[in-house]
Amino acid sequence: MGFRLTRSIFVPFLFAATLSGQTFQSDIRPVLEDSCIACHNGDSASGGLNVEKYNSADDILASREQWEHIVHKIRTGEMPPRGIPRPAEDAVAKFLGFVEQTFEKADANVKPDPGRVTARRLNRVEYSNTIRDLLGVTFRAQNDFPSDDSGHGFDNIADVLTISPVLMEKYMDAAERIASSAIGADPLPEKPIEAEYHLKHKTARRLDVSMIEAQHRVEWDGEYIIRIGLPGERPKDAAAVELALFMDGEKLHSQMAETKPSGLVYFDPYSVEEMRLFLPAGDHTFRVAFLNDDFPNTLGEKELYDREKNKYIESITFEGPYPTDREPERRKQILFCDPSSGDACVERILSKLARRAYRRPVTKEDVAPLMRFAKMAQDEGGTPEQGIQLALQAMLVSPHFLFRIEHDADPTNPEQVHRVSDVELASRLSYFVGFDARRGASGAGRARQAARARYAARAGRPHVGRRALVDPRLDLRGPVARDAQSRSRQPGPGKVPTWGPELKEAMRTETEMFFESLLRENRPLSEFLTAKYTFLNGRLAKHYGIEGVTGPEFRRVELNTPERTGILGQASVLTVSSYPTRTSPVIRGKYVLENILGTPPPPPPANVPALDDGRQATGSLRERLEQHRANPVCASCHDRMDALGFGLENYDAIGRWRTEDGDYPIDSSGTLPSGETFEGPQGLTAVLETQMTDFARCLTEKMLTYSLGRGLERYDRRTVDQILKNVAADGNHFQTLVHEIVESLPFTMRRGEEVSEQTGPRGQEIASK
Amino acid sequence: MTRKALSRRTILRGVGAAVALPFLDAMTPAMASSTLPGGAPVRMAFVYVPNGIDMRFWNPDYEGKLKELPSTLAPMEPLRDQVTLLSNLTHNNGRALLDGAGDHGRCCGSYLTGVQPRKSADDIHCGISCDQIVANEIGHLTRFPSLEIGIEDARQAGNCDSGYSCAYTNNLAWRSETQPLPPVLNPRDLFERLFGKDAHLTPEQRAIRNDRRRSILDFVTEDTHRLQGDLGPTDKRKLDEYLGSIRQIELQLAKAEHDNAQIDPGMDKPYGVPPDFAEHFRLMTDMMTVAFQADLTRVMTFLVTREGSSRPYREIGIPDGHHPLTHHQNDPVKMEKVVKINEYHMRQFADWMMRLSKIQEGDGSLLDNSMIIYGAGLSDGNRHTHEDLPTMMVAAAADTFRRADASSTARRRPCRTCS
Repeated sequence: MGFRLTRSIFVPFLFAATLSGQTFQSDIRPVLEDSCIACHNGDSASGGLNVEKYNSADDILASREQWEHIVHKIRTGEMPPRGIPRPAEDAVAKFLGFVEQTFEKADANVKPDPGRVTARRLNRVEYSNTIRDLLGVTFRAQNDFPSDDSGHGFDNIADVLTISPVLMEKYMDAAERIASSAIGADPLPEKPIEAEYHLKHKTARRLDVSMIEAQHRVEWDGEYIIRIGLPGERPKDAAAVELALFMDGEKLHSQMAETKPSGLVYFDPYSVEEMRLFLPAGDHTFRVAFLNDDFPNTLGEKELYDREKNKYIESITFEGPYPTDREPERRKQILFCDPSSGDACVERILSKLARRAYRRPVTKEDVAPLMRFAKMAQDEGGTPEQGIQLALQAMLVSPHFLFRIEHDADPTNPEQVHRVSDVELASRLSYFVGFDARRGASGAGRARQAARARYAARAGRPHVGRRALVDPRLDLRGPVARDAQSRSRQPGPGKVPTWGPELKEAMRTETEMFFESLLRENRPLSEFLTAKYTFLNGRLAKHYGIEGVTGPEFRRVELNTPERTGILGQASVLTVSSYPTRTSPVIRGKYVLENILGTPPPPPPANVPALDDGRQATGSLRERLEQHRANPVCASCHDRMDALGFGLENYDAIGRWRTEDGDYPIDSSGTLPSGETFEGPQGLTAVLETQMTDFARCLTEKMLTYSLGRGLERYDRRTVDQILKNVAADGNHFQTLVHEIVESLPFTMRRGEEVSEQTGPRGQEIASK
Repeated sequence: MTRKALSRRTILRGVGAAVALPFLDAMTPAMASSTLPGGAPVRMAFVYVPNGIDMRFWNPDYEGKLKELPSTLAPMEPLRDQVTLLSNLTHNNGRALLDGAGDHGRCCGSYLTGVQPRKSADDIHCGISCDQIVANEIGHLTRFPSLEIGIEDARQAGNCDSGYSCAYTNNLAWRSETQPLPPVLNPRDLFERLFGKDAHLTPEQRAIRNDRRRSILDFVTEDTHRLQGDLGPTDKRKLDEYLGSIRQIELQLAKAEHDNAQIDPGMDKPYGVPPDFAEHFRLMTDMMTVAFQADLTRVMTFLVTREGSSRPYREIGIPDGHHPLTHHQNDPVKMEKVVKINEYHMRQFADWMMRLSKIQEGDGSLLDNSMIIYGAGLSDGNRHTHEDLPTMMVAAAADTFRRADASSTARRRPCRTCS
């Protein structure tokens, strides 16, 4: 992630171009002349870079981003490219020294600037979490709202989050439904409603031989009759199995189900298991499974769904709601006094709800219109509870709820730098570290809040920026081809687990739990790459060929062999950086550069020539890519990128370990442009370990971006440097990083907005990138 | 509203000549007259497919009246008389123009907006899209000024392009320079949006519900005005977007009240997103058909899948991702797969066109009263070319275009689909 040189923030730096006796003319220009200008000149400007025009230290600062790139390329040995002689090492050292001193000097003069975060609407994840924390209602915004656009790799960037009419409609509908789920003031429907989910209709999906899943929205709290359809029968001596119902990963109920012939049905055997349970309103994922069912292992693939050979699960039906005496805990918490006792109670309830929904103390002005809604419902003949429900519905579409808005005394004066208010800070904390804003909003002191943040970080609250490392788009692209799977089917008794939603979810869960554990246990940052443990369930363990882990639950597993060391050994990362049918060393290399080293390669130049032009490249993937790199233009980036990617070639496109790819043995060695060589994933990890400062910077930038909800600007560099220094001084522990971010200038301060004429980075500025 | 009903026949006589003009500009006023003699409304839809189309099997090798259609277009054969191929159109603002890489992001962002999207991950800036220009003119006549439909979940396709925000590839329609209109992807959502979730309510109950909603909208509007007072310009703009959306819902409510009748969609409420591409396409287009038929809207954009989409098409034997395949480097095996995907998309589209053509409306069909454009923002996906874009116009609203032409304009004539 680079620092953008943006708009009018640029301050011209004017100072004499003399740094400890060095000058641009003596130390920079000659190197440019001898080694660079041949390609990077005004005419051909290879890679979009023209260095001919640079003549002074001021020029370096004026094109800072460009120069940071130059320094990086020279340092890693990517430039000058093969075929062009590299300047003498002391000339290189002087060159780099001069540029860096120029940067440092300039940075010392930059005024600290916290930047400014735009009013930001909650994204889908934040919306769901906020609703859950506020009302205890599970609502999956992901199922209902249009996707959030993302920028800088995150979907919580204020500037790109907009509200379209479709989304507004969704907010209106969701508010109605959520308020109704939370308060439950509406009468239940007169007749129960039936909803069936069936494999045949593709409304349920099969996760495993004896497990199906369906997403069902429970509209009302209440009791429901749940029927499980079980076609087929097993032999006469077959044992009964435990049939279990899970809701959102939690086992709600189980009962024994017979699998042997019932003796009642001779043709097309079928049985139904029934249970009656209380279900809370909300979006839920239901799974039905036979637990510890070994019988299918005795069957051939073709017999699994043969009704005369096996009994299996094919449907789940919900019938309800039926009235219940049970009052959900969450409702008791919201209605903490009896609304029918009068307006005073209603007002207290609404004030508390509003304070929590708006994430700030509320005034009479806030509550009065809510009271009008409560009245309105009652005037129409409704109960006081229905009044509260309507008022809640209104709150949930209010800008105070949907947006996180921060205030300035002087919103258009960029010089007006100030601390964000305690309440605003609490809100920032709550969305960054999952710290509970409800209490924060009561006006606790800053120190106490920071302490809470530390506490929250230590306690490893669930959504502590874990997505900061794992790209939110980490979406394990499309199922991998079945035939690709069968080709690489491994010998041995265990069946190769097939690609499917279960495996995909398992991959994601592994990485998320790994991230959380590093945070919760306050591990050093290096363990992202070197940890000798991970989190597995049966499915993923089988995928990895690790024995002794069975069942759907995840647990921590110590690794005895090096294949799954660190994040680069995890299937999620390996899959997301592959094509659906094959690996791509290029994409994996790019992933490492972007997400581990923080030095994303520039995009390929426009109109890349067709590589072969008719002639077919031949040989293994490695040989083919090597042929492509014969072109020095491509090689200038790909030498490094592909080499890093090749180090991961021992993992196939869904992260399974392999030693052969089709007819070719895997060669996972790599040679970096610096001449450094390594062997396999372990060798790669060892190389990356020597670049831990780059990783720490990369992670810091990502976490900071995520925590602020804005892209980093040039003035944030000083913050990043400071954080890195403090984190390093404290042994590079993860919680220190979180803590430093929470205490940092941009996190705790803001300023007025710079109002400029409608100018954006156009034309030349972009062209010069 | 009175509007001079320009004769579309005059304006668009000979499409070849018309496209030399910014062609929708010329057409917009005509569209805005909104109904044809006999009362049937005129509709418009844009259907977009990503990653280019193999032009070898799209372009006929002649100009003039269409004879047998090229193989990719073959599914349209029964409707050949209603097909016009516009050849050799270039979208200049899809080109790099000093902005470097990112053709996928750019070609989709510029497709209907006609402007060069700003290359930025968060400072998005594009232009109002031509469907929205039309919607601004005639949108007040229908419950929904426009509908935006899609199939592919935005999060499925990995990276957005080389520094271009995903907003450019996730969306086809732009309401303003900074506000894209995200497509509805889930058939159930579309169903509920079009036909309501409150079918089970009595008219009285529905009236109460609408009253309440209106009060809520009043309340938040007032709240927002109060809030905006002490905010900076960017924050204000964010809240303006919010208010704009609120206003649109108010209008929708008013419209719904006006025609309180429930529309019978003639189909069951879809359960959710079907895993099968063809089925998903069919469900969405079934509802789009009803939306046109019941005059719920007259303007639609359909982003079939997104630029850069790596969706595999296993159902037709293609396990590879679409986007990587299009970078085939002239490998004939890959090229053939790309062609198969092009054909597969076309089959779904043609199937929809057939359905539209079978719906009687006045003397003609619903299709006769529509103008549907099918196309892509790139021609050669391998090299990211912005010239000779595949562009097919179907039906040409109510006999106003001369049809069944393969019209060809001069090479690299700029294609200003609008604005």
